[in-house]
Amino acid sequence: MKMARTDYQEQLDALRSDVLEMSDLVIERYEIALKSLESKDESLAREVIEGDQRINELYLELESDCIDLFALQQPVAGDLRFVASSFKIITDLERIGDLSTNLAGYALDAERERYPEVDVVYIGTEAGAMVSDAVDAYRHDDAESAREIADRDDKIDRLCGDASGVVIEDLLRTEYSDTDKEMMDDVSRLLLTIRDLERVADHAVNFCARTVYIADHDTELIY
Amino acid sequence: MSEPSPTTETTESESTDTNDPTSTRTAATASMSGTSTTTGESEEELREEWTDYQFAGETHVAAENLDVHYGDDHALKDISIDIPSESVTALIGPSGCGKSTFLRCINRMNDRIRAAEVDGSVEVDGVEIYQDGVDLVELRKRVGMVFQQPNPFPKSIRDNVSYGPRKHGDIRTGLIDRLLGRGESDAELELVERALKRAALYDEVSDRLGDNALGLSGGQQQRLCIARALATDPDVLLMDEPASALDPIATSKIEDLITDLSEEYTVVIVTHNMQQAARISDQTAVFLTGGHLVEYDDTDKIFENPESQRVEDYISGRFG
Repeated sequence: MKMARTDYQEQLDALRSDVLEMSDLVIERYEIALKSLESKDESLAREVIEGDQRINELYLELESDCIDLFALQQPVAGDLRFVASSFKIITDLERIGDLSTNLAGYALDAERERYPEVDVVYIGTEAGAMVSDAVDAYRHDDAESAREIADRDDKIDRLCGDASGVVIEDLLRTEYSDTDKEMMDDVSRLLLTIRDLERVADHAVNFCARTVYIADHDTELIY
Repeated sequence: MSEPSPTTETTESESTDTNDPTSTRTAATASMSGTSTTTGESEEELREEWTDYQFAGETHVAAENLDVHYGDDHALKDISIDIPSESVTALIGPSGCGKSTFLRCINRMNDRIRAAEVDGSVEVDGVEIYQDGVDLVELRKRVGMVFQQPNPFPKSIRDNVSYGPRKHGDIRTGLIDRLLGRGESDAELELVERALKRAALYDEVSDRLGDNALGLSGGQQQRLCIARALATDPDVLLMDEPASALDPIATSKIEDLITDLSEEYTVVIVTHNMQQAARISDQTAVFLTGGHLVEYDDTDKIFENPESQRVEDYISGRFG
């Protein structure tokens, strides 16, 4: 028996696989950015920065697909929750892409490791794992996993808070001459890196919130 | 009522598992893989709590255990529903699901169909309308009806609106009034004007009330029919696809009008246009194949997160 609205169903399926494809690309870029941060590899960093254009293009294409679905197919119920959530999720993906270019930019600038005890790569790996697990939860409409993944944000916040604390305590303890520009650059870059990693995890939480909404019509994580 | 107790009257095979997190997304594949009827509906149990709609206002129309047969055809099965006053209630569902039959039960229009047999209860303002001694003329005056095709009388615009009140004796036709040449026409004109204004038609026809109503556009004719229904001062308005024969502009005028009218009247509307139901109704009742009321709730709940998989499939256009 032929299903009603097969074309519509194909468009929904295509949106899902396109969002997942964009997710894979964003995660790949993010991981390269982390690697560039770790190894101070300039070519890796440039690859991330130049690749952001593709992510922005994908974002705009998917945004347009969602608007077409709203206008032309008027999705309701589960379909509506799926399209509306995907519409929001692609913004989070695009932001993670931007944050990856930030990280790559820091990698290009960083020549010294002033606070080797601050393990930004570890924090970054944890935040990245949240993103890829959140994508898996979306892939499988798995609200339960999404809730668990969102809870991991507390740990990232704590790691980031501790890391910033190390830097700030050091600043308070030490007297620097106000002409020490290198020091200023290093410290602000490190603090920005920590903040950006924290935001990556926040976007993963948003991803989870939308997944919970799609599967359970539960807005608890959104508000 | 809060316990999820499936009613005994269900379809014959296993229900689709509505707790399955993937069921929403895979409705398409589910109905292709065996658990489907010939119309493409997946099968599931009916649940009482899906129709146990709680609302704040007063109940205006209440049906209880309503069954309708047309000969051997069991058109409505055990319908119980409370309709709140001064709001818009949409009845949606595929052709043959019984929604129009239900609408016609509310002012006993089914009495006109010889084969129709109605069992159960319908109360309007707390009074049973299916009991001996009910004045059907009085009932239909209080429970007005507007049909799919505009059906004005081939008379003047004014006469179309004043016809009902005249028949009901609401316009004075006393000898003195007529001798003095006042009263009747003043009262009539006032009533006609009020009804036409209420139906958002007056400004378009005020200078030609004596013209034949058949010269109006379809949308104007339908608003005239609404004015005609309002002229007898009803408090419930039944509408059976009132905009399906109209173009989008005329449709949006009718829709605006329905929203306005719901401040004073209880509007119950049957529509095949689900977006229309979503736009204009406060609550939506979904009837599905077999003459069952499957789900009844706030309209946003029905269109964002229905409980029934069959309802979800229907409103998503996956069958029907």
